[in-house]
Amino acid sequence: MIRLRDVSFRYEGTARDGAREAVQGGAALRQLSFDVPQGGFRWLLGPSGAGKSSLLRLLHLAVRPTSGRMEILGVEMDQARRAGLARLRRRIGVVHQDFRLLPDLPVFDNIALPLRLQHRPEDEIRDEVLSILDWVGLRARAAARPPQLSGGEQQRVAIARAVIHRPALVLADEPTNALDDQQANRLMELFQDLAGLGTTIVVATHNDGLVRRYPSHELELAHGRLVRDG
Amino acid sequence: MADRTTPGRPGASWSQARRADGLALRRAIPDRLLPVLVAAMAVLAAMALAGATGARILSARWTTGAASIVTVQVPRPDDPALVPASRPATPAGADAGTAPPALSRADAVLAALADVPGASRVHRLDKAELETLLSPWLGHDGDFALALPAVIELHLDRAGAMDADALAARLDARAPDTLVERNSLWSDRLGDLARSLQTCAILAVLIVVAVAAATIAATTRAGLGARRQAIELIHSLGATDGYIAGRFAGRTAVLAFTGGLIGSLLALPLLVLLSRLAAPFAGATAPAATVATTPGPSGWGRLLAALPLPLAVTLLSLAPAAALIGWLTTQITVRTWLRRLP
Repeated sequence: MIRLRDVSFRYEGTARDGAREAVQGGAALRQLSFDVPQGGFRWLLGPSGAGKSSLLRLLHLAVRPTSGRMEILGVEMDQARRAGLARLRRRIGVVHQDFRLLPDLPVFDNIALPLRLQHRPEDEIRDEVLSILDWVGLRARAAARPPQLSGGEQQRVAIARAVIHRPALVLADEPTNALDDQQANRLMELFQDLAGLGTTIVVATHNDGLVRRYPSHELELAHGRLVRDG
Repeated sequence: MADRTTPGRPGASWSQARRADGLALRRAIPDRLLPVLVAAMAVLAAMALAGATGARILSARWTTGAASIVTVQVPRPDDPALVPASRPATPAGADAGTAPPALSRADAVLAALADVPGASRVHRLDKAELETLLSPWLGHDGDFALALPAVIELHLDRAGAMDADALAARLDARAPDTLVERNSLWSDRLGDLARSLQTCAILAVLIVVAVAAATIAATTRAGLGARRQAIELIHSLGATDGYIAGRFAGRTAVLAFTGGLIGSLLALPLLVLLSRLAAPFAGATAPAATVATTPGPSGWGRLLAALPLPLAVTLLSLAPAAALIGWLTTQITVRTWLRRLP
């Protein structure tokens, strides 16, 4: 489950890689408070710049709150140690907007990464990866490198990598951007199935049609504030 | 792209199993530059360690060798010695004819030296030894016109075990003008020199270690920069700092071990040559002579056997030491770098 209480987040101007991540001094998220129960599904809505990606980064532990209290899958961020955060991240699956696939690894190994980090047996990894490759329709592309794939194929690989280890929390940032309607519908059905099995899911999207087809609890952000929770 | 799946073992040809974590360490830390640099450092370290070992051996030899011998010269050795103040020359009431004959100065000194605490041997050089000793200055005909003093060697159990001034005073009381030569003065200075050389050699080793560590750290940082995207990704997927640091450290340890091994092999012939040159100063026979009679080892092993044992052990430990330095340096570098990630 997820629990936020008065959580604010402000980028520190320039990131360590030199990229300016946000307007210096501006708060990306302000005084957010909401709960998502285990197995809950939440649409994360709002215009560009509202703070959706920042909130997903926060939930994925890529950044820490500037203030407030945050609990992810039963772990209080205030009290979490570094090794504990690594363990927690292994229970989270993320679909990044820009996919973040490793270009020099074959599709098979990109998808297998979360399982390898859990030191699963190779036989088990092979079976799991081939199974999910079948599901996303990319078994024939298993040996391909990501740059050889189309945008839609890369997105399906990213989705496969996010869910292959059956995470307790799935965070998806515009996961249907590069998918056609049929693939988007299949993905939504998968998310609903996972939620039914107890996985907590948060999906950020601009796709109003998709939200209408799969109505669910919505978290709407505007200027970093939560303007709707319901 | 064609599916390269092997029938019966689907996926086996795509996956490199545990290596396929995206870190691509062979590209992050190439296997050419680092071993060459570490090999060069290993050669320098071997030279410095050889210097330290040599200085230590020489220091020990000088301290326990020359410094443990006191040379005593007794002029007019056959003249009668003075009678000690505690013992009158002719006891009262005794017949002068029954009094023991007065000792010669040389015999009196020999007797006094035999009583010195810590003396292991007292040896008066005979005529032949004296001639041999003096022949560089007086020629080899053995017919010296000069009145030669008695030369006596006092061997001590250990250097500095005796108060030379007190001894000189005692001997002077029996045989005035007796000269006590304290070899320890020179050996002390030589020992100080050897210790200074040893310190310099150790400093040189420390500098080599520091430069090697800096080189490994710079190489690791370059590798981290090259694989930043992959590292950030697997970190976000739950890889621990220990896992990432361990993967990098394993890679640099292997490369540093390889470099250390190459450096040790390169240094071995040089060290054998130096050992042979230094052998006479250390009081040993030339190692080559020993090697020639030693059965068994051949090739590199034979060369290694030609080294003094401490140096051979040092040389054998270079590669593991390089691996350890590489592993530790990389662990620290990677873990420090990872601290920038949340």
